[in-house]
Amino acid sequence: MKLSDNEILELNELCNALADGALTDTQRSRLSHWLANSDDARRFYIRSMGLSASLFEYAGEMQIDQPSRIVRPTVWSWRRLAPLAAAAGVAVAALFLFQKKNEVAAGEVAANEFVARLTDSKDCQWIGGAPGDSLHRGQRIELAGGSAEITFDSGAQVVLTGPASFDIGSAWDGVLRRGTLRARVPTQAIGFRVSNPDVEVVDLGTEFSMVADGKNATEVFVLEGSIEAASGGDREPIVLRERESRRFAKGRVSAVADSEKKFARLTKAHAFAHAGAPVHFVHWSFDEAGGGIARAEVSGIAGASFDARIEGGASASDFSGAHVDGRWARALRFDGEFYAHAPLPQIEHAARTVAFWVKVPEDAPLASSSIVAWGARDKTKRKSGEPFVQIGWNRNPTQGTPGALRADFGHGLAIGATPLRDGRWHHVAVVFVPGRRGEAFTQAKLYVDGRLEEATARPDKKQKHHAPAAQLASADAGDAAKDWLWIGRRAGAVNSKKTNDRFCGDLDELFLADRALAPREIVHLMNTNTLAQPKTLAAE
Amino acid sequence: MNAPAGDTDRQKELMLLMTQHQRRIFGYIYTLVPDRHDAQDLLQETSLVIVEKFNEFKTGTDFAAWACQIAYWRIRASRQKFARSKVVFDQNVVDAVAETAAAMADELDARHEALANCLQKLHARDRELVLTRYESAQGVGEAARRTGRSMDAAYKALGRIRKLLFDCVTNQLATGGAA
Repeated sequence: MKLSDNEILELNELCNALADGALTDTQRSRLSHWLANSDDARRFYIRSMGLSASLFEYAGEMQIDQPSRIVRPTVWSWRRLAPLAAAAGVAVAALFLFQKKNEVAAGEVAANEFVARLTDSKDCQWIGGAPGDSLHRGQRIELAGGSAEITFDSGAQVVLTGPASFDIGSAWDGVLRRGTLRARVPTQAIGFRVSNPDVEVVDLGTEFSMVADGKNATEVFVLEGSIEAASGGDREPIVLRERESRRFAKGRVSAVADSEKKFARLTKAHAFAHAGAPVHFVHWSFDEAGGGIARAEVSGIAGASFDARIEGGASASDFSGAHVDGRWARALRFDGEFYAHAPLPQIEHAARTVAFWVKVPEDAPLASSSIVAWGARDKTKRKSGEPFVQIGWNRNPTQGTPGALRADFGHGLAIGATPLRDGRWHHVAVVFVPGRRGEAFTQAKLYVDGRLEEATARPDKKQKHHAPAAQLASADAGDAAKDWLWIGRRAGAVNSKKTNDRFCGDLDELFLADRALAPREIVHLMNTNTLAQPKTLAAE
Repeated sequence: MNAPAGDTDRQKELMLLMTQHQRRIFGYIYTLVPDRHDAQDLLQETSLVIVEKFNEFKTGTDFAAWACQIAYWRIRASRQKFARSKVVFDQNVVDAVAETAAAMADELDARHEALANCLQKLHARDRELVLTRYESAQGVGEAARRTGRSMDAAYKALGRIRKLLFDCVTNQLATGGAA
């Protein structure tokens, strides 16, 4: 018996629900009936589930092919297999140990990947000591009393009120184990999620509050905007809008008792001082009408001059065609031949942020991808641990979306999702973060148009022999090429003949800042073209 | 003390066979117990038994079929453990699916190979969604977040993408790889 089109549609729907863990009891009965009674249905089901099994494999390979990315734990567990594998011999043990190494790497990376910051606190009584300013994946925050504000790299902001216990998941999610939470999620962080065994809340751009009793019930309140909430027992989400609330307990959803009183209590503002570190920077606006010099505006960074010199290409005399209308006033239009270079600012702080506007024609060659770079220019020196940074777009389709923002740093790389070659202006910010011991960069966070696209970390131990990031520019004064910031080309010798990867496109408002900018600072920079000091932002 | 040469060869053979066939064994288990984490637990349990019983395996026979038989009995033995899962099927259904799946082993291998080509044909945004969904332990929620979709939109998109991939693989096998 061949399946009809309608039967195939039904089976397809059942298999999809099963694959996504959303199969209802009715659907399970229906699928069981099909599988027990139809050979064709069984074949369809086996092909469909085989597709999912294969996708697990391919998705895992995609991660493992990129060693700087987080490697998923494998399905093998050395701890459970060790005694038998040891008995079976060295060869089998080697196989399992190889798998275990990946698990260890994943753990190291998780502990090394900072995904949020503790941005303020008031009257906090910490359980187990105060956490550091930077919070990593998997870190648990436990408060006996007081309030703590956590800003995620996605831009979502969470205020915990003790007693509370909260696990940092990633830049986009966390787990409220118990206590009261208030989350404010700006537009660029839509999709931020807070969950626990009672409920999973996905934000749709809003402000909401959750109160978890730590046993079996969580109450959710929407203060502004809307959210999707799915109870632990029923994966089908419901949408809650402003001033709506629900109680989620043991898979059931019910009304919140005394919700008006609770709303009144939860909407009270938290009084945080928001005193942050000042930001120092060098800024190339590219607003010149002509000529071969791009002047630099400097704020708080020592150095004689960071003006960039434009060089190379056939039109080396005046570069009159290179100065075009930009995102803000004028911009520099790179033609794949000329480039610019400026003395690399000596920055005291280890972390830093590079930000700029870029507009790339749709037909720009994939190869012409080098936008900003500094550091050691060849692989040998990179392997020796010398600092290296290159920002451009991805050219390797096996590593990520071709044309998407890409940052290489030492042994690591991060690739975003939005293809830049679409003829439109995009704001780009790349935040480089050093390891726990203040060493060379171990993490790069990519923001495109204010939204976090990728945050990649690599194991800190690889960097133990590296020079501190603060010494980037002065590590080897004998090699003059390393002391330059390269714009529109890769790092390398001034007279390098390699030109096929020189940048094609418009570049505007390049900033190099001396610390990791917070998500809202990046959005502020994108919207105003100014780097505000923390006091200004706190007043907004 | 070094292992005898024969033992070392046998260990290498086991390592090679497990490396070659782990995916097929996992696929077989996942078809019978369609929950990723349960299937991974069962794969580990099956692997333990394979290591224990490998001296019973005859070189030159079908290792994957032998391993899948071990997996089948592990699944039967674990029914109580997995009874809490709402996706568990009755034993008669599991038996029927297991029998059909064993007969489709070669076809499933071919479909796995064809899928690599079909994934490359997907729109980049769709490819990112589906691979994130399957890579991430967070599942659909993480995939929705990373691709800027609501949960509902992500579920719908995943269904559409799986259908595209399913049809692409089927067409590719029907045309001998030309699709």
